[in-house]
Amino acid sequence: MAGGPPKALPSTGPHSLRDMPHPLAGSSSEEAVGGDSTPSPDLLMARSFGDKDLILPNGGTPAGTSSPASSSSLLNRLQLDDDIDGETRDLFVVVDDPKKHVCTMETYITYRITTKSTRVEFDLPEYSVRRRYQDFDWLRSKLEESQPTHLIPPLPEKFVVKGVVDRFSEEFVETRRKALDKFLKRITDHPVLSFNEYFNIFLTAKDLNIYKKQGIALLTRMGESVKHVTGGYKLRTRPLEFAAIGDYLDTFALKLGTIDRIAQRIIKEEIEYLVELREYGPVYSTWSTLEGELAEPLEGVSACIGNCSTALEELTDDMTEDFLPVLREYILYSDSMKSVLKKRDQVQAEYEAKLEAVALRKEDRPKVPADVEKCQDRMECFNADLKADMERWQNNKRQDFRQLLMGMADKNIQYYEKCLMAWESIIPLLQEKQEAKFPVTAVLS
Amino acid sequence: MEGRGDGEWGGGASLTERRGGRGRGGSAGALGSPRRTAAMEQAPPDPERQLQPAPLEPLGRSDAGLGVAVDEEAEGAREEGSGGDTMTHNNFWLKKIEISVSEAEKRTGRNAMNMQETYTAYLIETRSVEHTDGQSVLTDSLWRRYSEFELLRNYLLVYYPHIVVPPLPEKRAEFVWHKLSADNMDPDFVERRRIGLENFLLRIASHPILCRDKIFYLFLTQEGNWKETVNETGFQLKADSRLKALNATFRVKNPDKRFTDLKHYSDELQSVISHLLRVRARVADRLYGVYKVHGNYGRVFSEWSAIEKEMGDGLQSAGHHMDVYASSIDDILEDEEHYADQLKEYLFYAEALRAVCRKHELMQYDLEIAAQDLASKKQQCEELATGTVRTFSLKGMTTKLFGQETPEQREARIKVLEEQINEGEQQLKSKNLEGREFVKNAWADIERFKEQKNRDLKEALISYAVMQISMCKKGIQVWTNAKECFSKM
Repeated sequence: MAGGPPKALPSTGPHSLRDMPHPLAGSSSEEAVGGDSTPSPDLLMARSFGDKDLILPNGGTPAGTSSPASSSSLLNRLQLDDDIDGETRDLFVVVDDPKKHVCTMETYITYRITTKSTRVEFDLPEYSVRRRYQDFDWLRSKLEESQPTHLIPPLPEKFVVKGVVDRFSEEFVETRRKALDKFLKRITDHPVLSFNEYFNIFLTAKDLNIYKKQGIALLTRMGESVKHVTGGYKLRTRPLEFAAIGDYLDTFALKLGTIDRIAQRIIKEEIEYLVELREYGPVYSTWSTLEGELAEPLEGVSACIGNCSTALEELTDDMTEDFLPVLREYILYSDSMKSVLKKRDQVQAEYEAKLEAVALRKEDRPKVPADVEKCQDRMECFNADLKADMERWQNNKRQDFRQLLMGMADKNIQYYEKCLMAWESIIPLLQEKQEAKFPVTAVLS
Repeated sequence: MEGRGDGEWGGGASLTERRGGRGRGGSAGALGSPRRTAAMEQAPPDPERQLQPAPLEPLGRSDAGLGVAVDEEAEGAREEGSGGDTMTHNNFWLKKIEISVSEAEKRTGRNAMNMQETYTAYLIETRSVEHTDGQSVLTDSLWRRYSEFELLRNYLLVYYPHIVVPPLPEKRAEFVWHKLSADNMDPDFVERRRIGLENFLLRIASHPILCRDKIFYLFLTQEGNWKETVNETGFQLKADSRLKALNATFRVKNPDKRFTDLKHYSDELQSVISHLLRVRARVADRLYGVYKVHGNYGRVFSEWSAIEKEMGDGLQSAGHHMDVYASSIDDILEDEEHYADQLKEYLFYAEALRAVCRKHELMQYDLEIAAQDLASKKQQCEELATGTVRTFSLKGMTTKLFGQETPEQREARIKVLEEQINEGEQQLKSKNLEGREFVKNAWADIERFKEQKNRDLKEALISYAVMQISMCKKGIQVWTNAKECFSKM
């Protein structure tokens, strides 16, 4: 793609900066890049266009990247910055304080979202808004639309299919709150997504419904671009690295599914074990009423079993509330990632098809028409974004599972420790009076 | 003879002391783990064992034949009560003896109806321990099958109705949970029965009265002809009919309150222990399920680790710990079966208690009937003598209908009655004495039994708690190891 006037670099940033004045983003386009805040990649790209002070030279190929597009190298650098600046964050989001709202038409839960940021995209240093699940759902679909080349974190399931689960029970609401908090934190940690305008609106707008109703199209150029990719083209072969990702995700989802089933089965068996324990303990109590000297020991055993039962119940509750949901989240995550992979395939397919069409036309000048170039840029951008996100995702996944599995081990350890304590504490009770009652008789020989 | 000196209980006390060091504690029967473990070590480890039909090879040998030393000084209680055939010579008691049921073997033979049958025979070894050097010498060794043990026990029940006769291990496997086979030929069942039979013999040998029984001695020493010898005692004929006993239970008017209470106690004990054993079996079943499902983690973690780079090792090694966890339940539940067996012994003891109560009721009823009979005869006599008819009698009716009897006839009748009354009074006296002797002796044994029961069950509960503690510690260990592996992910 050498030569020719500087082309419009594929931009993943908000389209609005250039074409649509946006209430929130209004001032940022004027500001100089620099200061504390990590400049959004779109800003950089906007400025690098035609600007002599490029951070990275056009067409330069930083070591390690295969893609010639500078945008990808830019992204790589930003990713590097991300890692280096791991400790200095400028955006903090917390989901807490669930509240039940009873209206005539419906009852629902809202959660408080507190945002603290020094970023220029935020007018105020701190925001506090209330959002309900619907709003999160809206945010997610907007992110998918506007950032189709990125992996969008999953939301907890909308509907609870299994059994009759109380949507307003403390446990359910808390599980959901944790998942929603995780969702926002994942976006916060993402160098591109965290600057998304919809995200900003979500965090700051007093009344989200205005934005929802107006259906403001804050689609990024990329978003628009990918949206128009026709699905008619079939990709012949996925490039090796993406095929590998696809295979990985397939196996990964499969294994997670198995683990989910195993975990559920364990919980089920534990609950059935608990049911029997709850009948078992009291029988010792009944027995103790028949006895004299044995009454206390038997009663002690009964109480002990009762304590173990309680500990078991806590374990099953914890596993249900903390372990299973995270597994399911990751299954949803990998599902949505596979869709992104497919979209990428479509983009590549269109490009290859158009390229082929050009080749077949046998023109004298091997000049590549603009729209084919656009396709290529689109594809390369997509590839770069996806690869960067995959790496980030792998890293986070490792940490998440490390934490999840260590947590599972911990809960089991705590369960056994509680039981151990219970049984150890009754040993003295059982041994009591043994010596006193038991006569020491001389062995007659 | 009230003799509650040390001598009377000497057998029990020294028994316990000797056993203490073996880690079984108290006189909780021969149900401790050490020997059992030794026996199981011989069997090839086979987790699928429960799925396969019972093997037809001879079973493993137990080499740690724990026995009991029966002190010859335990002679305080020479009360024989209705007295079985007791020892006339003392040679047996000069030395300490050890009894063990050391082997079990499958046999085939022909039964009474000349049909081919398969049964298990048990090797009983008796050793006498020399005073001087403590070495034990094998003095007797013979094979017996379960039905012979039953015969021995039935004999003891008849000849020692005032004694709480130790029970046999169950004939058929009950209170099974899914892993245990209900098959009598299943090696696990046979092994536990072997231990139960040994325990039975040890209990008898440590009983101050039962240990002196000749038939018991012959059971241990005379292989052939023993069955004939037992049957020759004619004990079956002496046995009280079930019907008679049932009748007595319903109709007795003044049983000793202690026995009535004891009967209620044994009924309730039986009910509560049955319930406990049933639920425990279900608990064991569920616990087994929980542990085994964790084994699936092992496989899936291994498969998952194959597609991971940094996470792979941690996952793989954690998976291994999950496998360890899953397989640990087999030993845990095997140990728990011992506890269940200890409870079962007392479940069956409840029946033995009831038997003693029934005997008392029977004797008391007999006494009441005899007294009643005597009273009515006396009344008749009086009426005849005075000529007043207050009670209804057939003779009286026929006399009314067919005419008065002659004075001679009346005299004769009175004479007969007076003789009968005399006899009756003698009988009543002796029955009374018998009854009181029975109550005294029975109650003494019951007190002995109570002490034994409290000791044994406390020991059982302690060992159960120890088992639970061990299980918890194992659990903590495994999950700590797994956590360590996860931390390296």
